[in-house]
Amino acid sequence: MNPKAAVVVYPGTNCDRDTYYALELAGFTPEYVDWHGDVKGYDLVVLPGGFSYGDYLRAGAVAAREPVSKSVRAYAEKGGLVLGICNGFQVLMEMGLLPGGLLENTSGTFICKWVDLEITDTDNPFLSRFKQGEKIKLPIAHAFGRYVKVGDPKVALRYVEDVNGSDEKIAGILSEDKNIFGLMPHPERAMEKLLGWDYGKNVFLSILDWIRGGNRVV
Amino acid sequence: MPQTYHFMIDIQYKGNVRDPRGETIRKVLVGEYNLPVTSLRIGKSVNIEVEADSPEEAEAIVRKACEELLVNPVVEQYEVRMI
Repeated sequence: MNPKAAVVVYPGTNCDRDTYYALELAGFTPEYVDWHGDVKGYDLVVLPGGFSYGDYLRAGAVAAREPVSKSVRAYAEKGGLVLGICNGFQVLMEMGLLPGGLLENTSGTFICKWVDLEITDTDNPFLSRFKQGEKIKLPIAHAFGRYVKVGDPKVALRYVEDVNGSDEKIAGILSEDKNIFGLMPHPERAMEKLLGWDYGKNVFLSILDWIRGGNRVV
Repeated sequence: MPQTYHFMIDIQYKGNVRDPRGETIRKVLVGEYNLPVTSLRIGKSVNIEVEADSPEEAEAIVRKACEELLVNPVVEQYEVRMI
């Protein structure tokens, strides 16, 4: 049986269908869970990208306080696997599940392009299929992607070149226990070579390996 | 009898956090208008009314609103002013 993945949908989320497609392609059985819902019982929870609540107040601020987010917190605190992509990363940060802040790009513009990235941590459920130091390409599409470092985050992904003014070119971080991964680039948009590169696939396959290895926590 | 109290909340990035919008606007004021602007930071203001039995209680409600949602204490700071 394929592992079950929840794709959390807030009003304004717009990468939910891409994420669903990517999960299915990788071998998960995805289901949508809306902002009133509960993520209990899933093998993986994905917070996809988009503009939840129109980025009102701050990107991710309102979504972070919705009922489903409370269930994501409970799930994460029990050790459940949570992947936050782009706006999902911003939501996780607003929930306080990942350290730091995500503010407007220093260019002042929305940036939508493929970028070069370096994998800086492979000893985790999300990136085990990559090699330490491996250079990959993923697309970014954000206005609020400038990572402001607070404390000493576990950095898993860095931009090779400075693209948005992020501290130390940080593009993705893990929680202390490494069960939560937030990143600004979009692995779900890099699943097939037909669309450029398919480095994103290894993110979802790494998670699958981890779950199939009997590491399920929740 | 509860009364309505009116506040302005000023929210700014903390001092060590860069504000690209403010930097851009400052450059325009200096470059296009030759004004000696040495620093400019753009924050946001929230115009808020609350019902309370006293000014102290009203301010406590506004501060709770800031801490729960309006302000992200990781990167922002705020001031509350009754008007």
